[in-house]
Amino acid sequence: MNEVIGIIIAAILCWLNFVIVDTYFGLPEQPGVKGARIVGEDVKKRGGDIAGGFFQGNVLCSPDASAGTLLASIGYLLLGIPGGIIAAFFVFIGNRLCGDPGYAGTIGSLTATIIVFICSFVGFTPEMFIVGMVIAILTIQGISQVRASIILGKIAQKFNRHAEE
Amino acid sequence: MFDLVYSTVSFASYGNAFGLSNVALSSFDILLAYIVAIVVAIIVALVLKLPLLPSKPYRYSFDVSALYPTPVIAIGILSIFLVLNYTFIYNGIILAAIIGILSALFVKYLFDFVFPKPLDESGEDGVQ
Repeated sequence: MNEVIGIIIAAILCWLNFVIVDTYFGLPEQPGVKGARIVGEDVKKRGGDIAGGFFQGNVLCSPDASAGTLLASIGYLLLGIPGGIIAAFFVFIGNRLCGDPGYAGTIGSLTATIIVFICSFVGFTPEMFIVGMVIAILTIQGISQVRASIILGKIAQKFNRHAEE
Repeated sequence: MFDLVYSTVSFASYGNAFGLSNVALSSFDILLAYIVAIVVAIIVALVLKLPLLPSKPYRYSFDVSALYPTPVIAIGILSIFLVLNYTFIYNGIILAAIIGILSALFVKYLFDFVFPKPLDESGEDGVQ
């Protein structure tokens, strides 16, 4: 498969994976760790959405499905399916060390391992998913945090996971 | 430099065509070992009277249960053994069962000691 097309599709798959898993497990609803609350309130102060801000803060401060997807792709590149599962295990330990009460990281890296495995039959390589995940995180955190938080807030509302204000 | 990186990575992922790294077992045996580890971990955890599911709003994973995190710990540690190519006897099934039992025991008796709950669990608002 052409690398550029593969990276674009992998980025979309990674984005969907981590946003859906993170939203389902309630990242926009409450800050799991203290830093997430500070980021969320700062984003809100700049005109963003508080739920999207909590989402971005949680992604930033502790290993969630975004870090899980990235680490699972790297583990898959190095060690195959067992590598992805080891990544999930390490993300789980990282969550405990951060004091983050969520389930998103572990579940996200397991689903990412499954996605990379299924896509490997169609010609995707794990490298494409690593690059795609970096691009996916860039769209959330890097380009415009305020606008991204508004989109994330809308997604959270669809999932009925919006933070009550 | 990029050559070095490329050759290191391609060496590390050598023989990775089926996504199973350097594991000497067949893929069916690996699947069986994972299933055995998961099933044994859940059953032993239930025997040790852990609840099957975590408490209802699924947001506080410091409450241990039989479905999370016991199987995750079991398959994580089993994966490390598989990747190191140590599979003991009977194609890794005995190893999977032992790891399942030990991870259930770990979750039941040692988990709170190794990963203590965060101190300010009642007030995440403690910051304000």
